[in-house]
Amino acid sequence: MEYLLKNGYVVDPANKIDCERKDIAVKDGKIVESVDESKAKVIDVKDMLVMPGGVDLHSHIAGSKVNIGRLFRPEDHYKDYEVKKGVRRSGVGHSVPSIFTTGYRYATLGYTTVFEPATPPLKTVHTHDELNDIPILDKACFPLFGNNWFVMEYIRDGKLEECAAYIAWLMRSVKGYAIKVVDPGGVEAWKWGGTVQDFDQEVPRFGITPREIVRGLVKVNKMLGLPHPIHVHANQLGVPGNYKTTLRTLDAVKDLAAGDRPIIHLTHVQFNAYGGVDYLSLSSGADAVADYVNKNPHVTIDIGQVIFGDTTTMTADGPFEYKLFTLLRGKWANADVEVETGAGVVPITYSRSNYVHAVMWAIGLELALLIEDPWRVFITTDHPNGGPFTEYPRVFSWLMSKEARAKVLKKLPRLARARTNLKDIDREYTFYDLAISTRAATAKILGLSNKGHLGVGADADIAVYNINPKEVNPSKDYKTVRQAFAKAYLTMKDGEIVAKEGEIVSAPVGRTYWVNTKAPQDIEDAVIPEVKRLFEDYYTIRYENYYIPESYLACSAPIQPLEPAG
Amino acid sequence: MFSAYTATRACGVKVIMVELKLKMKGQSVAPIEGEMLTPDNLAKKSFNEILNLETWRGNRLVKLSEVFTVEGESTSNPSDLHLIIEGDLRKVRHIGAHMSAGKITINGPVGTFVGFEMSGGTIVVNGDADAFLGMGMSGGMIEVNGNAGDAVGSGYWGTRCGMRGGLIVIKGNAGAELGCWMKDGTIKVGGNADVFAGVRMQGGTIFVAGNVGAKLGAAMTNGKIVVLGNVPSILPSFNIDEIRANTKVDGEKVQGPFYVFYGDITEGGNGKLFISVPKNAHLKYREAYLL
Amino acid sequence: MKVINAVLCPGCGSLCDDNEVYVEDNKIVKVRTDCAISTSKFLNFNKDRNTTPLIRVDGELKPTTLEAAIERVARILVEAEYPLIYGWSLTSCEAQKKGVELAEEVGGVIDNTTTVCHGPSILGVQDFGEPTCSLGEVRARADLIIYWGCNPSSAHTRHMKRYSSLSKGRFRLPEQRKVVVVDVRKTPTARNANLFIQVKPNQDYELMAALKMMLQNEEIEEQEVAGVPVEQIEELAELMRSCEFGVLFFGLGLTMSEGKERNIDGAITLVRELNRWTKFAIMPMRGHYNVTGANKVFTWQTGYPYAVDFSRGYPRYEPGDTTAVDVLSRGYNDATLVVASDPVANLPKDAVKHLCSKPLAVIDPHISLTAFMADVVIPCAFVGIEEGGTAYRMDGVGMILKKVVEPPEGILPDTQILDLILKRVRELKGGR
Repeated sequence: MEYLLKNGYVVDPANKIDCERKDIAVKDGKIVESVDESKAKVIDVKDMLVMPGGVDLHSHIAGSKVNIGRLFRPEDHYKDYEVKKGVRRSGVGHSVPSIFTTGYRYATLGYTTVFEPATPPLKTVHTHDELNDIPILDKACFPLFGNNWFVMEYIRDGKLEECAAYIAWLMRSVKGYAIKVVDPGGVEAWKWGGTVQDFDQEVPRFGITPREIVRGLVKVNKMLGLPHPIHVHANQLGVPGNYKTTLRTLDAVKDLAAGDRPIIHLTHVQFNAYGGVDYLSLSSGADAVADYVNKNPHVTIDIGQVIFGDTTTMTADGPFEYKLFTLLRGKWANADVEVETGAGVVPITYSRSNYVHAVMWAIGLELALLIEDPWRVFITTDHPNGGPFTEYPRVFSWLMSKEARAKVLKKLPRLARARTNLKDIDREYTFYDLAISTRAATAKILGLSNKGHLGVGADADIAVYNINPKEVNPSKDYKTVRQAFAKAYLTMKDGEIVAKEGEIVSAPVGRTYWVNTKAPQDIEDAVIPEVKRLFEDYYTIRYENYYIPESYLACSAPIQPLEPAG
Repeated sequence: MFSAYTATRACGVKVIMVELKLKMKGQSVAPIEGEMLTPDNLAKKSFNEILNLETWRGNRLVKLSEVFTVEGESTSNPSDLHLIIEGDLRKVRHIGAHMSAGKITINGPVGTFVGFEMSGGTIVVNGDADAFLGMGMSGGMIEVNGNAGDAVGSGYWGTRCGMRGGLIVIKGNAGAELGCWMKDGTIKVGGNADVFAGVRMQGGTIFVAGNVGAKLGAAMTNGKIVVLGNVPSILPSFNIDEIRANTKVDGEKVQGPFYVFYGDITEGGNGKLFISVPKNAHLKYREAYLL
Repeated sequence: MKVINAVLCPGCGSLCDDNEVYVEDNKIVKVRTDCAISTSKFLNFNKDRNTTPLIRVDGELKPTTLEAAIERVARILVEAEYPLIYGWSLTSCEAQKKGVELAEEVGGVIDNTTTVCHGPSILGVQDFGEPTCSLGEVRARADLIIYWGCNPSSAHTRHMKRYSSLSKGRFRLPEQRKVVVVDVRKTPTARNANLFIQVKPNQDYELMAALKMMLQNEEIEEQEVAGVPVEQIEELAELMRSCEFGVLFFGLGLTMSEGKERNIDGAITLVRELNRWTKFAIMPMRGHYNVTGANKVFTWQTGYPYAVDFSRGYPRYEPGDTTAVDVLSRGYNDATLVVASDPVANLPKDAVKHLCSKPLAVIDPHISLTAFMADVVIPCAFVGIEEGGTAYRMDGVGMILKKVVEPPEGILPDTQILDLILKRVRELKGGR
């Protein structure tokens, strides 16, 4: 099928195109130079905003902990449902939508690539089961390594090459994409009911500190040439004053950077940018974090914006969720996973009148606005931790309009306004900034060369929004912005129209990316038998059954590492 | 075919209610969705519109006139509409769901979820009501002149919140988990209540004229339960507070004497159980713990 | 002879994956395992095997073709106003997914056997969540293991040796673990426990309330609770409080005794309380090998773990009304398809009576009691032995089942049969 999207205003930052009237030609799922207008289906998108399909690098959409959230929150779903219609399967929302609905709602927003940022390797069969069932989207998952016994011991013993070989083996075994680190060492401590309070505190019984784990994994990531930097959820998440830990984490790896290429992605930083010493004195630490990011090109972040309303927090950071539970005393799920990691899930309602929540809301936006380079700060809600991804249009409108922000600020507790910097920030995102932060830059940092842009050869993942970027002034017309982004006029995935004005018109199977990485053969040959031997002592399943064959993925898309290993 | 009904509004003003009568036609195997059967929904609709309203019988959309014979008329104001539903309604679910005003009289046994998340108005059931009566109710009144099933005045799964207001009166017996997670309002049972009455209760009042099953008030954090009949046992997480000559339910005096227990202590609870002394001689040993 | 390693056993929710299966001429001749359930499963799964589709004619089940049987099932489902599609605990996630799709297509209720086993556990989790862990965490760390209302010695034969009390873990040896059994009678598991607490039937909740009181240093106005002297309860409370890593396994003794989900409320909140003192986890002992998978699949596809009603074109969840037992005993359904389960043998009498009074179709490798009462029976391959697929262990670890022998000629896996039914249903519905 060939398409020609005519007369739209194209915003394609990767190709330095900023609101230019330009036709986009599509053939066999790719963007092409031109198509034969007599054969192609011509779609007039006159004066509409045309962007690459959205690329979300951090959204909890699939796997064990997501499903725990779904299972224990029937009250989250029962008023928000989708009736079966045509190709659209039925399902439910809201903060933890059922799997088909997840795909449809992302497509409706104009997003076409979404990565699940945390899978316990042992439970990755489950993660792939769900990823396989997500219609339309391309996806991948990041296995968790920050509390893995093998990783901690290899790094502690200075065996980085062995560590790299182990991670390469695991990445291939479970078909993972990037190294995810959550509360390094802290989850292992939590498995005894404890925590790791400091970046330099030893993990009980393992003789290694979070600092050493993070540094070791940055090195391993480089050795393996993985396309994405290590993806870190720092220690002390949610703790007042934690911005210092955040800065120490970033600074701990600064010397490992070479050139301008980022080597660490710090995720949902809103939760890790708190000043103050307790919740009463909580303040924004966003300026310090933003300042560091502005000065140090080895870092990228996503914000983890909070949305007021009801949602579900879920993370591999079991000790954090326990702390949250002791504050809220509602539902609490914990799911520690042998050898590797843990997970916790706690529902929460963020309330405007709650001082802490108000400060959190401001911090997310401050980070996005104070970090100058949109290529290094990405818009997320850490779905569903800060709020459901369906609220992205609201976040866009806040970033694009000081007035929209002011309207919310006005309703926040006075002290929250005083202890944050948001009121003094004038910056407003342009459509170009927005396209960078939600598409071009995320695709780039994930190493997806076919995504996030509309150049010839790119995957024809395209979002068209019914808004005229030349006429609409987002600063004033933020409601128009919000409406336009909530329901793409048209979403195309691999050259096929999947959503049109909120209706799902087709639901193709999306790819699952994974990195087919390898350490030098001799090292793998030495390491794998050792892993196999210990596997029987550590795990409760057999080594043989840990391996997930490529055929298990509905549409496998292996990626080669960036550079030769070793 | 105009028939009138005189009712007294709370303010004491007599109003004329317009009657709309629905009579179940025959029997259905598949359950019938009754959630549109509320004065809110049927008011302002013409007789023909009502006949042509669609509802679900199992997975089939059927016209209301296929399921019910309809008589009477509607009115513009839901508060003035009196819906009378008759027949074997055991398979009709969610009658009166989200109702906010007016009155429904159900003549016959009725299915599950009567008055689901209702906020106002009155429902009278002249017959037995199945489980989940008044689930998520926040206001209004339900009267059952028969027995009611399990989980009266509870809440939708996972909400951790039951009935938040209003009044439920059951002339007969109530099933298990009466007033589960109940937060406010009143439930009165003329007969007996099964196990776990008032479980997880957070407020409001439950009055049972007859006997109750075990685990009364389990894990309650607040609220009051009054039992005139037999209580097989008191949970170990309740301690005795005092003996009272009488107590009050919705402002009305109830004659005792009552053992008063407080709990559930394991939940840091501030709930109170008022248990008839004469009917519960087997609890006398607890008097030893009175200071 | 072919030896196949690391084969998962479709015998129980423990889903042990270290079985060695010896195959000769497409027959399993030997199994290396120390589990009686597993041995029997692998060696005897072919007994009472039915290999012919059957249709009831004049009151008798008569052989028919697969096409005719599928046509009949499809028509039963399409004509029904409220079909029930039930079972799913003894098959793969792939089949379960097809089941959900079929239920959605025909506007029926889909439910799994959770409804008669750990449904209450799920309702408890929906109110409180659940502090749990994978079985390897128990193996590595647990120094206190409580079996409450469950008897792994008989029902999950290798559980103790592989995962819990008798397993050898990285930080814990069997002799470093204490075992407590709480049950209404002295089970084989109880005989080997360090402490056995005999609770009066239907009074588990009282006992848990007393334990919570003790953990909170509150005074109890009783000499004994649930038949257990207060001193013994105190002893248990102290064991719980002072352990380093405790776990509470529970079974049907808790979920199916008086109070049901409220007992699970009691157990989960007890474990929450214990986490103030130490690290403590709770886990249901799931019976059928993939009942956990059924909950997982239903949840990610529909939002709800069981009792999903598609009659209005989207998933609705009202357990107690849309649960199979309640659908049947209220007489709501006008047809039933049973897959990988035997409800006639397991459900209450009035539910079975209604089940048999309406058109009934069964997909099963064997002639079960339910198949015996059915109008249509379609034989299928034995999942986990003759067909692969995914299954979830009781702790939520997903694993891939192995196909070790070929099914009898002409016998399809249930996933394919369901797919054929689904296709036929869509044809029959036409544009509807």
